[in-house]
Amino acid sequence: MADAHVPHVAHPPSAEDILDGASGQADGPHNPAKQHSLLPKMIPHLDRHLVFPLIQFEEDQADEEEPPAELVQLKFELLKQTNMTDFVGDLDAQTQGLSERPAEYAQKREEVLQRRELFQEESSKLQDLLADPDVLNNLRSDKVANLNYLKENHGVTVEMVNTLYDFGQFQYSCGDYHSASELLYSFRILVNLLFTSTESTDNDKLSAATWGRLACEILTTNWESAMEEVQKVRENIDQRLFSNPLAQLQHRAWLIHWSLFPFFNHEPARETLTELFFSPTYINTIQTVCPWILRYLAAAVITNRNRNFGKNSGGQYQKQIKDLVRIVRQEGYEYSDPVTDFVRALYVDFDFEEAQKKLVEADEILRSDFFLVAAADAFKDSARHLISESYCKIHQRIDIRQVNPLLVLPLARGLLTLEQGSLQPPWSFAR
Amino acid sequence: MSRFFHGDSSSDSSSDEEELYSGDEATKAAEAESSEEDSSENEGDDSDSSSDDEGGKTGASRFLREASDDSDEEDEDKVTVVKSAKDKRFDELEGTIRLLENAQKISDWNALNENYDRMNRQLPTLQRDLDGKAPKMYIKSIAQLETQVMEAFEKQKVTPKKMNPIAQKSMNALRQKIRKNNKEYMTDLEAYRKDPEEFMKEDVVEETAPAPKKPKKKLLDNDTTLDANDEGFTMVGAGGKAMIYTPESILKHLRTILEARGRKNTDRLEQIKIMERLLDVAVTDYQRIRVLLMLIATRFDLTSGTGSQMSQEQWKLAQQGIAQLLDILEEHEEIVVVDSGAENPEDDEKAPEPSIKGVLEIPGSVPSFVERLDDELTRVLQSIDPHTAEYVERLQDEPSLYSNLVRAMLYTERLKANDKLTVPQPQESINRVIMRRLEHLYFKPASVVTVLEEGTWKSVPETLDSKITPRSEGTDINNLVQTLAVYLFKNAEGIIRARAMLCQIYFLALHDQYYKSRDMMLMSHLQDTIASFDVNTQILFNRTLTQVGLCAFRQGLVYECQTALQDICGSQRQKELLAQGLQIQRYSQITPEQERLERQRQLPFHMHINLELLECVYLTCSMLLEIPTLAQAGSSPELRKRVISKSYRRMLEYHERQIFTGPPENTRDHVMQASKALAAGEWKKASDFILSIKIWELLPDSEGIKAMLGQQIQEEGLRTYLFTYAPFYDTLQVTKLAEMFELGQQKVTALVSKMIHHEELAAALDQVNGAIIFRKGVELSRLQSLALTLSDKASGLIESNERVLEQRTQGTANAFERQGGRGGRGGRGGRGGGRGRGGSGFASRGGGGQGGGQQFTGGALGSAIRAQ
Repeated sequence: MADAHVPHVAHPPSAEDILDGASGQADGPHNPAKQHSLLPKMIPHLDRHLVFPLIQFEEDQADEEEPPAELVQLKFELLKQTNMTDFVGDLDAQTQGLSERPAEYAQKREEVLQRRELFQEESSKLQDLLADPDVLNNLRSDKVANLNYLKENHGVTVEMVNTLYDFGQFQYSCGDYHSASELLYSFRILVNLLFTSTESTDNDKLSAATWGRLACEILTTNWESAMEEVQKVRENIDQRLFSNPLAQLQHRAWLIHWSLFPFFNHEPARETLTELFFSPTYINTIQTVCPWILRYLAAAVITNRNRNFGKNSGGQYQKQIKDLVRIVRQEGYEYSDPVTDFVRALYVDFDFEEAQKKLVEADEILRSDFFLVAAADAFKDSARHLISESYCKIHQRIDIRQVNPLLVLPLARGLLTLEQGSLQPPWSFAR
Repeated sequence: MSRFFHGDSSSDSSSDEEELYSGDEATKAAEAESSEEDSSENEGDDSDSSSDDEGGKTGASRFLREASDDSDEEDEDKVTVVKSAKDKRFDELEGTIRLLENAQKISDWNALNENYDRMNRQLPTLQRDLDGKAPKMYIKSIAQLETQVMEAFEKQKVTPKKMNPIAQKSMNALRQKIRKNNKEYMTDLEAYRKDPEEFMKEDVVEETAPAPKKPKKKLLDNDTTLDANDEGFTMVGAGGKAMIYTPESILKHLRTILEARGRKNTDRLEQIKIMERLLDVAVTDYQRIRVLLMLIATRFDLTSGTGSQMSQEQWKLAQQGIAQLLDILEEHEEIVVVDSGAENPEDDEKAPEPSIKGVLEIPGSVPSFVERLDDELTRVLQSIDPHTAEYVERLQDEPSLYSNLVRAMLYTERLKANDKLTVPQPQESINRVIMRRLEHLYFKPASVVTVLEEGTWKSVPETLDSKITPRSEGTDINNLVQTLAVYLFKNAEGIIRARAMLCQIYFLALHDQYYKSRDMMLMSHLQDTIASFDVNTQILFNRTLTQVGLCAFRQGLVYECQTALQDICGSQRQKELLAQGLQIQRYSQITPEQERLERQRQLPFHMHINLELLECVYLTCSMLLEIPTLAQAGSSPELRKRVISKSYRRMLEYHERQIFTGPPENTRDHVMQASKALAAGEWKKASDFILSIKIWELLPDSEGIKAMLGQQIQEEGLRTYLFTYAPFYDTLQVTKLAEMFELGQQKVTALVSKMIHHEELAAALDQVNGAIIFRKGVELSRLQSLALTLSDKASGLIESNERVLEQRTQGTANAFERQGGRGGRGGRGGRGGGRGRGGSGFASRGGGGQGGGQQFTGGALGSAIRAQ
């Protein structure tokens, strides 16, 4: 499946246009959210199907009734090469200002449907076989024996297995992620059952299938199995690409971007993914290829605070914050946005006013970021805690009226936050 | 090969050498001799015998004497010198032989061995004078020697222990040499042995014979040569034959020159003259190229020895030769000079045929020529005092060299793309040339490179362009370096790749792109593998690291700068590590060989990194980091052990020990006094000291750097002040601090906050009153910390005491064991011993641990007895 993604990421035919279109929006310097939009940077690292929700979100954010033309154009360029003919046709019509889909799409649609039929026929037999409990019972751990068994009794050939893969890819391209996921799953099972891992072509396809399934699971918001796939992909990268550091780097960068989807949408995933991002190889990848991920990492670490509070994992939290500060500081010359600036202001410069300013900006950014929008409130809360925590650590006497604006809170709530935040209690508050 | 030719060249070179000996350049000769002596004995022996070979050949043809004499006559003056020099040499030989005899008498084998070698060295020239015959007295002496050595050897066999090892060694060596050497004079030796007197007589006649003959011939010959020269291309070659240079005979001449190449007695200057004439005569491009290839190579051969450099004139001629060669090659695409795949035709008569694909291939290597040219210039620059006009003058040759490099690169590039060649050209030659080009660029500021590039492209014909570095992009220098380096990353491997990487990093660092250069440095992972590279690459690595450090300093990144420079500057071996001068090491013993190698590695002065500036930057950075750390450590010994820069601390300690300190004289003094002031909290004074260092002016944007330094000193001063004087304050107004250090209140608060947050300072801020409240009882008082130090020291003492005990008792424990082992059977025999060392027996329980039960009883008994 990722066969489909890999080449398009490596030399995206339309990526240039997409980038142009997207950066066109980032022009407005008044709006920090747009100024710091990561969309153009992220697109090269994502599959086109994965980019779509991002653009859709962008569209929803826009205030106007009509979606801006360049966004529609962007979507059109993005999906032009997929098999979702109806939708693409609509988009094309929209960009060209037509009321109906251009006729070519009907024809394309027919083609796609025909091919689908064909694929279905070819792969139905294998799928039936896999559904048949008798067959499954006869399969053993001996791969050669399995292959012989299926060959002799059911006429299964290598080509048939590959068809499964192609069909999965086709379905994915059509936007039918469920069935694509299933097809790829069966493909993977079969390959694992039948072939020894020495055959390199199957290896490539196998890892491509894993990538594909990850995309499917993300797009169907099936987070738990998506996390499984993330794990598998990670192992794949470590083992298979061992001898090719450049490809390893590239794949890791992809994995980091892809896993942003479960990262902020699936609570249990956050911890594992934070750990993943902080592991040496991945943090290096972030630092070398995609420093903008620091925004997400920073947001994740800061929001993690609430969850960890009761679980006595404060030590770990402190360590994460420490790591984060170190990296944000190191990368300061290459990447900065209000979120990382907030971290820097608070922990490097100890400039609380600056931190407060950045917090406001960061809040805005979070609210206009596809991944972070859900975590915006939690982030703001945790950030306030952090400010008051370190403020109280440093100060012995505090003028509450002066602190309040720092936290962007009304007086009463400010007090409360301060009390929660101060870990060493007997500070005197001067009113 | 022609004997005539050989005779000619040999006598010529002899006359050349004569000049050396007679003239005031005697020192040079001595040098040459001494260097020869350095080379191993074997070598000397080999070359002797080989030259003897030649002597043997010519010696047979006595009738050739006239011919060889004639050729001498080209220069009238020289001949008069010949006589005296020849006599002198005979005298020398006699002297040596006398020494030999003396040594023989006292059986000083060492001296014998040495003198024998010397005699053999003197021999070849004399032999030439005698037409290849060895002088009689030589024969006599070697005959005597042989007998003596044989006798001694026999004697030695009988009484083996008589001789000391050095003499023994010398004698053996001598015996070997004599055995080898004497074989060649077998006939002469036999003649001598038969009748020594007769043999020696003959000699007298021979010796005098050639001398008077010479002047007669001279006049005659001189006329003929003159005539010949007037006519055109006639010249007198060996044997009085007229050498006529015609286009047809060019290749033949080249062949003879080629055959003479590398021989000991060839006169290269003469060959060069001949070839220059040949070049004038040559009509076809093929001939011209062939002559040029040979000519350039011979010019380089002129200075093949170590320690000698090419003269400017010769270098320029070589450079022009290469340019001319490239001119021809650029004009005629159908002729190529290739490294591999071509051979010179065997037959000189026929004109060579182009290959099937219409390309005429000539063996040779343009990259090697330009590389050699580059090396020669570097060698010249190494040897010249950089503060003279001469250095500048020679340095002005660099642009022409660079343009040669670029043209050679274009040429190799074309060759690589040329698919008509029989053998595809290796990638390596392009890489080599590009590497050279990059090495001429990386250490220069962009503006200089721009001028260089523009000049170069002007000298390159309009029609030519490079695919790798197109002419149109010549103006963007950053891009140029990047392209060259990237090309090498892709196409080269191993050392060249690493070097390309380092060059690019250096260039980036030089142009203030700190982060980029640092990231590349880290990503290259060279620091792990650099130890396995050759020394020159290691030097480049050191240079790059230094440059990155300096770049960090210019950006105001003190910590990064200090860590980058630590390895180079902390070692006190900057000069050696950067190859910018020999370190005078008092206690180390470097062999002359090592020293010579080191001299060869030195970088020419214009590539140097200013060492004084480097030291200044390093010390200043160390100061900014160390002084607050020292203040923080206070008197606590634990923290004091955390040393950032050892060499800085050493200097500081040395400075503090001084009883009187005068006003600072050099950079180091400045920094040290500034450190003292800073430690005392007087940041203004420190800042004055630092900013009055003149060397900052060398940095670009020195004002900005001074401002940065001023601010750093303020901040670090504040930190130092707080660390040092915190115990004396209860509270401290932030505004007061801000005033004191002329910093903004915000900045002070931020600094203090940071210190509190990192738990460096036991204090808290009082926001209401704008004050710092110091917490008491957290900091140790002086008494307490001293007490701690004392207890530390005491425990150290105990430890070392125990260690000493352990050592001692391990000895006694063994003694116990032995005693016990013996005494165990004999009842309480061991007790006496146990009593004496009772106390130590105990201690050894902790230390030795393997003493065993018996020992304990001994100890216990001992103490029990003592208690009574």
